[in-house]
Amino acid sequence: MKILVTGAGGFLGKAIVERLLAHGETDLRCMLRDTSKARGLEEIASRYPEAKLEFVTVNLRNLAEIGRAVAGCEIVIHAAAALKGSPAEMFMDSVVASRNLLEAVVNEVRPIRVVLVSSFGAMGVAEMRRGAMIDESTPLERHPEQRDVYSHSKLRQEQLFWEYREKYGFELVVLRPGVIYGPGGGHFSNRVGLSLFGRFLHLGGNNLLPLTYVDNCAEAIVVAALYPGANGQVYNVVDDDLVTSKQYLSLYKDRVKPVRSVPVPYFALMWGSRMVERYSERSRGQLPAIFTPYKTRAMWGGNQFSNAKLKSIGWQPIISTHEGLERAFAAFRAEPEKAK
Amino acid sequence: MTDLRKLRIGIIGCGKIADGHAEVVKHLAGAELAAVCDREPLLAEQLAVRYGVPAWYGDVGEMLAREKLDVVHITTPPSVHLALTRQCVGAGAHVFLEKPLTLTAPESRELIDAVVAARRQMTINYWPNFDPPAMKFKKMLASGVIGDPVHVEAFIGYDLAGAYGQALMSDAGHWVHRLPGKLFQNMMDHIFNRIVPLFPDAEPEVHAFAFKRREAVRGDATDSMLDELRVFMRGGGVSAYGSLCSHARPVANTLKVYGTKATVEVDFNNRTVVTAASQRYPSAVGRLVPPFQMASRYLSEAKKNANQFRKSEFHFFAGMSRLLEQFYGGIRSGAAPPIPYVEILRVAEVMDRVIEQVYPATAGASVTGGAR
Repeated sequence: MKILVTGAGGFLGKAIVERLLAHGETDLRCMLRDTSKARGLEEIASRYPEAKLEFVTVNLRNLAEIGRAVAGCEIVIHAAAALKGSPAEMFMDSVVASRNLLEAVVNEVRPIRVVLVSSFGAMGVAEMRRGAMIDESTPLERHPEQRDVYSHSKLRQEQLFWEYREKYGFELVVLRPGVIYGPGGGHFSNRVGLSLFGRFLHLGGNNLLPLTYVDNCAEAIVVAALYPGANGQVYNVVDDDLVTSKQYLSLYKDRVKPVRSVPVPYFALMWGSRMVERYSERSRGQLPAIFTPYKTRAMWGGNQFSNAKLKSIGWQPIISTHEGLERAFAAFRAEPEKAK
Repeated sequence: MTDLRKLRIGIIGCGKIADGHAEVVKHLAGAELAAVCDREPLLAEQLAVRYGVPAWYGDVGEMLAREKLDVVHITTPPSVHLALTRQCVGAGAHVFLEKPLTLTAPESRELIDAVVAARRQMTINYWPNFDPPAMKFKKMLASGVIGDPVHVEAFIGYDLAGAYGQALMSDAGHWVHRLPGKLFQNMMDHIFNRIVPLFPDAEPEVHAFAFKRREAVRGDATDSMLDELRVFMRGGGVSAYGSLCSHARPVANTLKVYGTKATVEVDFNNRTVVTAASQRYPSAVGRLVPPFQMASRYLSEAKKNANQFRKSEFHFFAGMSRLLEQFYGGIRSGAAPPIPYVEILRVAEVMDRVIEQVYPATAGASVTGGAR
């Protein structure tokens, strides 16, 4: 069975390829934006000499390039997405790119199962009470314009996949990972805090972090992709034994490097967010509303997370959170975070 | 202005710069952003959703027919500016265009002719020239304190690793690579629109050279893009240097005018306008005093900026707000547009001369569009 992985050269994409190989899938097509991304994949492939890894360089902004990459595949795992850039670029690389991919998929003669790597950001968490359980029944975000652009683009992307499924009837499996971490990934999710004026504002307090170690997340994607009953289903992806934001930061300081952090309690953050939003409105946008009560509720309100549905189809984390954090922090210590 | 009917504004081209236009229009009294359009409807949709615009379109004709727009902002790549302008003025709308106006000066002339023939108005987004420091400089020039310009230096820094630069360098298919003058063509309006108004009307001499300073070879279309431009000009008794510089730090944005009475430096990034102090006392004392005078002038600029910030007049696109207020005001009153058409065309002509010299093989070639 030929499986296409988009964004295969990325942080998560590489792990997906590895987990597919570990599950005995040997006919993989890796879609990359440029050939330099193939380096890490070649190293992975060398551990599975029986597997056939094909590399295709495609810019998903160009519909004409995609057809040949999709041709002959039975499963398409869409992991490519924009993580940074201007809003227009992020929508181009997450939403328009997805529409192009879907057009290629529905133009194939053979049926293709599509697996989308969506995000926690697509869910409307800000309208839930603090501490509420987040699972697959949590409704999608109703006010994307009030969230960050990444969440907005991931929401629109997921909606697009459901719209196309409704229209064309292909098999669709959606995974919504929480915070994907691991060696080579980012050091701090915004859920922990933000660097501002030379200090790290610790905003997450005692909130649980919806962490998923990159290999665990990839495993979840592969298990769901290969599970026959997953069609039309959504699976949230978080690991077991989650740590709080405070525990993460404290372990980071111990294992990686000292961080000059300033804890900001939720009530103070909420008050500050109201002030920032009001000032931004009153000054007609002289300073951007980087904090608003809505964003703060969504990002730092604090929730519980469930992975029960994922476990019901046979997923188990391959790395414990304890071990995952040790591995990630050891790698962070060896390779300092790139300047943003 | 609030008692007047609000002008209905539309945007065509929902790429990165369209955000700036939407942000400015949103806060302008007397205008409402009525609709946005992009040939990629998903891009039009995201802009509309984020800015609360009531309508979005994937087809310009449909938007123009339905929305009865007073002004259309054209923020697409320049290769389609002429065709879109014809369509908009044909539908009765005035047009506000992003720079560069078109690909060549003759095409720019055609565009302006089309606007005039339709009895509509146009202007181009030369917003830095309407920022507070530029307005202060214009006042100083008009008051005579600078005297007559003798020499002008316009300097634009560019960060290839910045938000715009990265989009360009990571995409060999980006429309800027298909412009005859590539990166320079997309940026040098802001060099020459500062120099040209200070030159006499006669056609200036233009000597340009350019080179590529970065070493990395990527093996794609980005490789052929030059990144350092130097232009020498002379018109009558005035000379000028224009530079676009991608490697010097900090990424500066300045205009220095050496006049017969005084020399003034305008810093667009730091929003300061400072006259060079001259030695008024003899010997060593004469050299001691001017730095204090300069320090005091910068301090007073800092105070002025802090005051503007306090009054919420210190926005990034303050110049675009000012320019649009004048443009929209002119549309209401029938007054002349804020930038004389002849000045826009003279800038376009200098740009043609530069491109002919630094990219002789591509000058005059046509390109196709893409998202800005």
